[in-house]
Amino acid sequence: MDDASPALLLPKPAPGLFWNPYLQIFLTVLLTAAAQILLKVGADGSSTDSSTWSLLGVKELGSGWTWIGIFAFVASFGGWLYALRFLPLGLAFSLTNGVHIFVPFGSWFFLHEQIGLLRASGILVIIVGILLLAQSVAKAEEKV
Amino acid sequence: MSLLLWILVIISQLALVVGQIFLKRAMSRRELGAEQAQGWIGILVTGIAAMTVWFLLWLGVMSRVDLSKLMPLEGISPLFIVLGAAFFLGERLNWRGWAGVVLTCVGVFLVSAS
Repeated sequence: MDDASPALLLPKPAPGLFWNPYLQIFLTVLLTAAAQILLKVGADGSSTDSSTWSLLGVKELGSGWTWIGIFAFVASFGGWLYALRFLPLGLAFSLTNGVHIFVPFGSWFFLHEQIGLLRASGILVIIVGILLLAQSVAKAEEKV
Repeated sequence: MSLLLWILVIISQLALVVGQIFLKRAMSRRELGAEQAQGWIGILVTGIAAMTVWFLLWLGVMSRVDLSKLMPLEGISPLFIVLGAAFFLGERLNWRGWAGVVLTCVGVFLVSAS
């Protein structure tokens, strides 16, 4: 298998921790997880509405929680577009799987949804997968 | 989940993959010289339009399904994104990267099976 990373061909980000594209991916993940939970709170308000507008997600726009969630999504989008300038799409998007760690914990804490043993195991496997992805980046950068 | 909800989930995920490929192409083109960068805004707007379709469909499905059950279904999309990026953008991952993608997908399946 080809061990070359297309990341090596991409432009370098500006110096400084804040401009590190991996930090921006992390902030994107946190904001996306917050947005998903806020959208769920907003969407729950219309869960008994069976109209087409509700099914297409338009009715849910009437909730303030939905709009705070949208704001969090838009904020995360800025960081995401920035990171896309410097990282390959496949790698960057795979790293955003971190959202599957934060959302279940957030859903448990704020929405009182349950996390069973199987779900906890799945979260653990996702963490290992993300660590492998991070290692693949480190190995690629070592070769520069 | 009903068949209609499954179909809406699949369409939303397709829109997500298409949208992300357009966003990446727009941001990559922006880095090129002025002449080659022409048209990047149009590509960006197309990507945002596809992401909007994903968002509204996702919101509609979300109102009917538990978030912790729904999120794992979205988690399979990285595999499609990696394949799409390889096919349309010529991106490649090393073996650790592929192992990471596969493991995160396995994790997502475990979470969705719970």
